[in-house]
Amino acid sequence: MEQHIHPEPKAFIWKYVFSIDHKVIARQFLWTGLMFLALGGTLAMMIRWQWAYPKTAVPVIGQLFLSQTGGAITPPTYTSIFTMHGLIMIFWAITPILIGAFGNFCIPLMIGARDMAFPKLNMYSFWAFFISAILVILSFTSQLGAASAGWTTYPPLSTNVGAPGWGQTYMALAIFVTGVSTIMGGINYIVTVIRYRAPGMTWFRMPLTVWGLWLTAILNVLFVPVLGSAALLLALDRLAGTHFFVAGAAVGIQGGDPMLFQHLFWIFGHPEVYILILPVWGIVGDILSFFARKPAFWYKGSVFAMIAVTVLSAVVYGHHMYQTGMAPLLGLGFEMLTLAISVPAVVLFVNWLNTIWKGSLRLEVPMLFALGMVFVFGAGGLTGLLLGTISTDIYLHDTMYVVGHFHLTMAAASFLGSFSALYFWFPKMYGKQMDQNMGKVHFWGSVVFITLVFGGQLVAGYSGQHRRLFDPYQYKYIAHLAPLNRWTSYAAFALGITQLIFVVNFIKSILMGKKAEQNPWQVSTLEWTHCASPPVYHNFDIVPTVVRGAHEFADPAVKKKFGRDYLDQVEPGLGAVGEESSDAMPEPEAIGAE
Amino acid sequence: MMFGALFFMYAGMRSHALMWPPPGVPHLPIALPAVNTAVLLASSGAIALGVKALRKGERRALSAWLGVAAALGATFLVLQVVVWRDVWAAGLQPSTGAYGSVFYGLTALHAAHVAAGLLVILLVLVRSLLGKYTEHNVMKVRLPAMFWHFVDAVWVLMFVSLYLL
Amino acid sequence: MTARRLLRAVTGLATSAGAVLTASIAAAAPQPETGYGLPRDVSADGHRIDWLMGVTNIITGVLFLIMLGWILYAAIGHNAKRHVAVHDHGTSRRSIFIVLGISGSIFFVVDGNLFFNSTTDIEEVFHNFEKVEHDPTTIRVEINAHQWAWDTRIAGPDGKFNTKDDIVSLNDLRIPVDTPVIFEVASTDVLHAFNLPNFRAKVDAVPGQINRFWVQGKTVGEYEIGCAQHCGTNHYKMKGEITVLSKEDYARWADEASKNSARLFDENDKDAHWGWDWKGN
Repeated sequence: MEQHIHPEPKAFIWKYVFSIDHKVIARQFLWTGLMFLALGGTLAMMIRWQWAYPKTAVPVIGQLFLSQTGGAITPPTYTSIFTMHGLIMIFWAITPILIGAFGNFCIPLMIGARDMAFPKLNMYSFWAFFISAILVILSFTSQLGAASAGWTTYPPLSTNVGAPGWGQTYMALAIFVTGVSTIMGGINYIVTVIRYRAPGMTWFRMPLTVWGLWLTAILNVLFVPVLGSAALLLALDRLAGTHFFVAGAAVGIQGGDPMLFQHLFWIFGHPEVYILILPVWGIVGDILSFFARKPAFWYKGSVFAMIAVTVLSAVVYGHHMYQTGMAPLLGLGFEMLTLAISVPAVVLFVNWLNTIWKGSLRLEVPMLFALGMVFVFGAGGLTGLLLGTISTDIYLHDTMYVVGHFHLTMAAASFLGSFSALYFWFPKMYGKQMDQNMGKVHFWGSVVFITLVFGGQLVAGYSGQHRRLFDPYQYKYIAHLAPLNRWTSYAAFALGITQLIFVVNFIKSILMGKKAEQNPWQVSTLEWTHCASPPVYHNFDIVPTVVRGAHEFADPAVKKKFGRDYLDQVEPGLGAVGEESSDAMPEPEAIGAE
Repeated sequence: MMFGALFFMYAGMRSHALMWPPPGVPHLPIALPAVNTAVLLASSGAIALGVKALRKGERRALSAWLGVAAALGATFLVLQVVVWRDVWAAGLQPSTGAYGSVFYGLTALHAAHVAAGLLVILLVLVRSLLGKYTEHNVMKVRLPAMFWHFVDAVWVLMFVSLYLL
Repeated sequence: MTARRLLRAVTGLATSAGAVLTASIAAAAPQPETGYGLPRDVSADGHRIDWLMGVTNIITGVLFLIMLGWILYAAIGHNAKRHVAVHDHGTSRRSIFIVLGISGSIFFVVDGNLFFNSTTDIEEVFHNFEKVEHDPTTIRVEINAHQWAWDTRIAGPDGKFNTKDDIVSLNDLRIPVDTPVIFEVASTDVLHAFNLPNFRAKVDAVPGQINRFWVQGKTVGEYEIGCAQHCGTNHYKMKGEITVLSKEDYARWADEASKNSARLFDENDKDAHWGWDWKGN
């Protein structure tokens, strides 16, 4: 179905503030997400400071925010720091950057649509997110401190019994509101991909990026409401005196059940980690192909693998609860399904490795970040095996090994994947190029220090150090890990400083970067071949008709005829039927027929 | 999925309880909630008839049926408040352990959806009176109607599981 | 925690400590660990977990190195500067076979090994309460977790919990060597997790629920108890000590401690009677 062309609004408020243009909304999510990424990162630095130099004053931040204690972090403040770090990074940094920004920017452009299916809903989705961001800031202003029950917010600690004050309540509400925003966005992405693909853009001609974002949207729409219900019930416990999760001595036999929260939370929580990684899997799948100048290896296999992971993600959540006294048979079921996710994950991974093998690799900045993502995800994924297995999880549960695992797979992989996407699409978003040399320095610093920081966490956890400890060295069996933690902290500080290179590069390039061509990377997807940099308001003057997939690279016959190593998704190509790449479908009968 | 999660929660609470209802809690009334069920079903019926009328181009009939649906929806909310008041006075409050939490939590969240749906119906009614709907844009009325049917279906589930079972 | 209860615990502790000290050479406080890697394992069955982790680490370590080598080789050897890309969509039957073959192999070998061994270990040992509940030498311990310390209770000579002769302590647990010990763990306030790192054992303490696990110590000495679930401000110092004594020392200590407890028993201190009837099998 083709969308009408609307005139571009002129007034500042409709053009930049309450815009319904997916490209503007994408940038709104990007900026907000990057700012919260900085905030979450600063909180991480504070945790690392405490472990490197326990109970000493934190430089600068200590003077500004912790003056009551002489600049040092105290145990209650510490519990808020790691709680807010986790919540902010997941919901207010990665989600808006990957899903809000790149979902919004890439989906319509890559499928040949003029905008999302519901542009006004899109705008509401951003402003709901903005409101949730305000609630987060309010949490910090609470007198009894910001939320402090861990990002997992387990009751009874997260109820009034364990965490009194407005800080925790604000975050329960903030989670609910950002959930509303995510659901609105998810509905938009799902419908847009189903209904507004350009003629000839069949499902199996879509770029992997779109597949990743679309599957993410499905998981979002299905499972964020479950988190919403958990947050709502917690809010009711905190504000209306209900006892959904309050148990123990306070309530007696008629009390609620704290375990219920864990079920609701993880029914959402496990799909959530796939929500955060599926867009990156899709993006990296495309970028590896583009910069290896080679077709995406077994494209259909990758699509099916992503679908399989999406489906399986719904039934493995119990592995977060192995140590809660679960019946062994139930644990066994979850364990089998958890280990089964290995299969599609390895398929995806091997496809990536085969895409770059015998390619013609251009190690530009987006490609470097994509390769970095593959590396950290491979390492992180392998560490998941011991956690998914019940007996070994007995020892490793709640240690820094878990923290290292999820930071590698979730934080590091999403982080590097996000930068791959950012450096890649920056010319299309802003019409300018980023400084590639600064980008390379940013890459090397990031990947090296990420490996050291999260590798250090894995070692500390394997040696027995537990999570969420203000002062791990209280325990004699961990006290000897102080030097390890200090060196890991140095790597973390270096990682933080490295990001400043990006900040300078980003701002500098927006203000005075070199003008970008339409298709500087010489790739085949619609946004590069048929849109200006940046695109016009309505994206496409004429919606193109697609005749093949997005990865038609390296065909010698094409090189001979056209003088370049790729075909875009629209041009007629070599002419005779059967010479098309095998991921192209036969021509549709009529334009628009599926 | 949100109501799915809430029913999951209810099932969990109930399966863990030694007795349900727990000893000492007041009995829930059945009469008024049963009336409310009829009210909401009728309201769904009204709005369905309204959509059917619009399909045939009968715009005035649509407005009438929307009015009926809205009135019935409002009646539901009023009766729900009456039920809450009676039950509160009998000694069941949100803080009355799991039982009170479940009862008020489920019905309050449902009522919030009824209220939201009611606002939408009123909006649609106003637009209908202004002549905005014809047999060519029936979807604009069908969508709010589908939400209303959903809210009704959730209520039936709630009525059966909270009050009857 | 009432002052009375604190006094009881401290007195009981002091008396018990005195008994042990006079009876044998007491080990010093828990010994520190060195180097990186697993802390010492003093349990009869923890080696199963250690073995499974070790073997898996070796295999995954190899896979990791292969992956790294692959990426580096491609980046350098198949660089645009020196290599022209091959036109391969990876859709040939052979290619798909290879991909599925690799996934399947890793799944059956690595995951299979993990699943098989974990299930066996859990069924035969870690969750095999049948065996230990019926063993006449088994010691039973009830743990009451609360912010931020561990109440422990061992049934006295009468074999029943929550009675006058129970050995009650705060953060100071003693068990005999080479003897099965079953723990039943509860919590009064928030979630905690009773963690014995040197025994490779832990379980969550959930308010409203009683969870259990069992261990058998094989080396005399003092080890640490930790909390493995965020439970508030002082989670980081919610630690205790578990001492494995020789059977003779344990018998002597238990006798002394039980008599002290009976002497200090206060019928009116309801808070102190937190024990429960052993849930058992």
